[in-house]
Amino acid sequence: MTTATLPDMQRWMMEALIAPGRVDGASVAGTFKPGAHIDAAACLGIYQRSYILRLRQCLIEQFPATAHALGQDLFCDFADEYLRSCPSDSYTLYELGRRFAGWISDNRPDKDLPESERESWIDFMIDLATYERALFHLFDAPGHEGKPWPDGQEADAELTLLPSLVLGHYRFPVAWYYHEVRAGKSPAHPGPASQYVAVVRRDFQTTTYPLSPFHHRFLMAVQQLGSIDAALEDLAAWSQRPLEDVRNSWRTDVRQGWIDAGFFIRRGDA
Amino acid sequence: MDGAVKQSVAQAENPGSTFERLGLGVGLRNSHFDHILKAWPEVDWFEAISENFMDSGGRPRWVLDQIKERYPIVLHGVSMSIGSTDPLDRAYLAKLKALADDVKARWVSDHLCWTGIMGLNSHDLLPLMLTEEALTHVAARVRIVQDVLERPLVLENPSSYVQFQQSTISEPDFLRALCDQTGCKLLLDVNNVYVTCFNAGTSTDDYMKAFPFEHVVQMHLAGHQHCGTHIVDTHDGPVCDEVWQLFRAAWQKTGGASPLLEWDGDVPEFDRVHAEVLRARAYIDGIDPVEAVATRSRTSAATSTPVDFMVPNVMGDSRMQTL
Ligand SMILES: [Fe+2]
Repeated sequence: MTTATLPDMQRWMMEALIAPGRVDGASVAGTFKPGAHIDAAACLGIYQRSYILRLRQCLIEQFPATAHALGQDLFCDFADEYLRSCPSDSYTLYELGRRFAGWISDNRPDKDLPESERESWIDFMIDLATYERALFHLFDAPGHEGKPWPDGQEADAELTLLPSLVLGHYRFPVAWYYHEVRAGKSPAHPGPASQYVAVVRRDFQTTTYPLSPFHHRFLMAVQQLGSIDAALEDLAAWSQRPLEDVRNSWRTDVRQGWIDAGFFIRRGDA
Repeated sequence: MDGAVKQSVAQAENPGSTFERLGLGVGLRNSHFDHILKAWPEVDWFEAISENFMDSGGRPRWVLDQIKERYPIVLHGVSMSIGSTDPLDRAYLAKLKALADDVKARWVSDHLCWTGIMGLNSHDLLPLMLTEEALTHVAARVRIVQDVLERPLVLENPSSYVQFQQSTISEPDFLRALCDQTGCKLLLDVNNVYVTCFNAGTSTDDYMKAFPFEHVVQMHLAGHQHCGTHIVDTHDGPVCDEVWQLFRAAWQKTGGASPLLEWDGDVPEFDRVHAEVLRARAYIDGIDPVEAVATRSRTSAATSTPVDFMVPNVMGDSRMQTL
């Protein structure tokens, strides 16, 4: 590295941050002068150490419940390995955790075993990290604050789902676990149990509402088909119940509560 | 706001500059949002981290919109990567311009550094090899950025932990040439001067003698961690005496550039941070320095360029409810 061009030098230094073990001493001493009291490798070491510490800390703060569930040491091992394989590719730190749950899933140690023989705690971590990422994203996503909300007097055709509404289906009660951690408790890892949720942000407060599988399917259909009427028909066909029954249940059991919770907005206000 | 300080800051001479003397400012931090909205503290101005707000559709942007109605705002970025040999991110620049117009940013700053290459971001302020090649490269990019932003770019001297064998230009000379060639302005961080010079074993006097003070529109003050053999720029404590002395010497020469305090790690309550920047009055007016206020001891390891203060506390605003 005696006459490196600017791009050469930057590529070399970026690799030295991401994979510190691969840098040889001669190239370090050829690139940097020694510091006042430490040698060139120790000077570079300040960047290398801080690189991993600062990004690991950001992941801990973006995934507080997953970090709690794994414990500090194990979470840091996961985080360090993740940052090595998926270094940040965005100008914003908010994207740092985007691929984390997918990365755990792709790199689980038992991924070659049949599904029935896999460790269930890893499934729990994947689902918990997926839920945390959804909450983190929703926190700063475009929302409906400052615009009018429906009051329930509207016709169904006037209503559309809140664009940022998150519908989730998890193999473990991750929303429960997350909020136990938030409350300062130390919940045990829960056993498998399907959890269906809707997550809404209203007045900058993010709220997770548990749903029945039936209601989850209905809201998924509204999201996909773009209309409440079409979703009611879809649900009637799927459940083999008369359309009128399904429509009745929507009107009397859930409609007003979901509107008050902020699941829907008026089409014109989107 | 603080009339006396503002006046004393504004009295200094700086002919030819259209940059306002804003008084004594504080870096806007997520953990202070609630306090600011409730107390509307008597602070002269805020510096907001651009990347925290340019994509925000949530509460952070709403909070900034309230704050911009009452205080002057300056935008300070950490991801422009002006020194990188990757192409400039045009989408990023367009968002930055929109934000700057929207919050009526008094100016927009970033660092003389690169943050990544090959499409990757280290989220660190990495050091540039200071050569003629780098000067030509950075100057061309500053011109593009200024064309997009339609305002001069303000660049800060970063803290550095390495010196390149191949560098041929000193940092002050590099910054002077950059300003002369592009019309960009400078943010002089006196803590960074202290950190860089200590780590390199060079003299802060020599650095200051060569520095182009006539281009400085803003100054930064911050705390660091002294590790004996080197200093890490942690922004997690009060400003030390040596840095205040540098501030005293530099501030007059800048003709009254606007000082701002950065506190990013172990951030204490707002009033403690504000009190720290108000200590600058003593060094501006030449009266006796104010004693440092006690600060709780550090809890974190010495990490340079802390960034986790930029991650919002999402958990705090989340709840679970049944219908
Ligand atoms: Fe700074």
